[in-house]
Amino acid sequence: MGLRRAGPGESGAVTLHVGDAAVARIAAVAARGVPGVVSLRADLAQALLGVAGAVFGQDRDGVLSADGVSAQVHGGAADVTVTIVTRLGENCRDVAIAVQEAVSVALAGQAGLDAQVSVLVADVLLT
Amino acid sequence: MALEKLLACGRDATAAWDRAVAGAGPDEHESGCRHCRAARADALGLDAVVHRMAAQPVEAPPSVIDRVMTAVVGELRPHDVLLLPSPHGPNRLSRPAAAAVLRSVVDGMDGLRARSCRIEQSERESEDDAAVGSAVDVAVTVTGRFGIDLASVTARVRQMVVAAGEQALGVPVSRVDIDVVDLWD
Amino acid sequence: MEAVRERMEPRVVEKLPTPPRPDVALDDATLVVRAQEGDVRAFEALARRHQAVLYRVAVRVTGDPAEAEDALQEALVDAWRRIGAFRGDAAFSTWMYRIVTNRCVGMLRKRRPVPVDEVADAGLPPAPDDPARAAQIDAELAALGRAIAGLAADQRVCWVLREMEGLGYEEIAAITGASETAVRGRIHRARTRLAEVMRPWR
Repeated sequence: MGLRRAGPGESGAVTLHVGDAAVARIAAVAARGVPGVVSLRADLAQALLGVAGAVFGQDRDGVLSADGVSAQVHGGAADVTVTIVTRLGENCRDVAIAVQEAVSVALAGQAGLDAQVSVLVADVLLT
Repeated sequence: MALEKLLACGRDATAAWDRAVAGAGPDEHESGCRHCRAARADALGLDAVVHRMAAQPVEAPPSVIDRVMTAVVGELRPHDVLLLPSPHGPNRLSRPAAAAVLRSVVDGMDGLRARSCRIEQSERESEDDAAVGSAVDVAVTVTGRFGIDLASVTARVRQMVVAAGEQALGVPVSRVDIDVVDLWD
Repeated sequence: MEAVRERMEPRVVEKLPTPPRPDVALDDATLVVRAQEGDVRAFEALARRHQAVLYRVAVRVTGDPAEAEDALQEALVDAWRRIGAFRGDAAFSTWMYRIVTNRCVGMLRKRRPVPVDEVADAGLPPAPDDPARAAQIDAELAALGRAIAGLAADQRVCWVLREMEGLGYEEIAAITGASETAVRGRIHRARTRLAEVMRPWR
């Protein structure tokens, strides 16, 4: 037994609605998994200050932290902005495109949403 | 109020003090003048303890820099961006981050250090979203080791900046201005 | 040098040089320009390079290590916020001296004034039956510290910059914004006062 998403015109079925926060977390996990992404924006401070453990976004939410991602869901679509940190040796344009694609795939697969994804590369670590 | 502080004999007090603590012996006037002798005694008497205080080492607490940098980074708002082309809609790259990448490329070249790095992205009208605003003009100032062949080195810098634009940033570089602003040894 | 417009052509991909050697020390002028263009690491390098001197001045002007630490921290954050306004005509160190000493003077003015009688006996030597020469030297330094604390703030700043930091009158004038004549006047009054207070120690 599980939730079934209402199809167009259907009534009586349970509607699955995925909210902003959940979308943000799905996007964050997907973004962090992209090769070339060192961390998301919230870890920028630690990344710049060289604090150990920064790469895995250690905060109170652990691996599901959505810091660095903002998401807004409307209807069957989501607008997502992801702020990332990458490193020298990667291609910023290509990493950003890969993040857009990874987030789109994740949101389509896990939340049934079309995503418009915009990536901001906030920093490029030089060491 | 007198503008220059004078001793009662008319001599400049500050200059007399500075001479005394610098180790200069009393000149002919000073040897015979009670005002100057008193002033010199004051100067030499204070100088010893002042020197002792000045010699005491004072270390800045190590945590200050950490707190400063936390505040600095916390205030960073990457609004200053370049557009990165993408078939899914343009992405953005912090301009200071891009500039730091190009500077590090120049720094990696023997005999050169980058100083200023300005990146301008022309607004291009394009029907193709993927090409929106992509090509950049770069203007760098560098300092170089005295004796390097400036002409060949700047040609090399141009090649490196164009390569870094494409490989590291992912934007085409259409112009590179290089200004050698200083030399060092 | 003349700029040359590069025509974009397909070319063999250049191998990028490896990241810069860490021993490449950058001068203040270079670090300042980079910081002005948003390079946070360059600003950190500047802060680390200058913090010892700035802290030392703050301690000697305020007489209080805790206040000096606050003054240093606030001055550095302030410098970051205002670095766009820094013109390279003066040295960065001069600019930073000014920010720190202004902060210190502000802190001094917020304190309650030191009662006159506390200052009057600031320089007295310890009781005659105090035996150890070492204790006497420490006490003398403490007496000098109290005597400095009795100076007016603007005299104190000029005196510390001259006698503790060894700066020239012209630079002190640039730091304080006062004329060189005014600086000499303040230093003279400070020296005279300190010599008077410390005379029992001679």
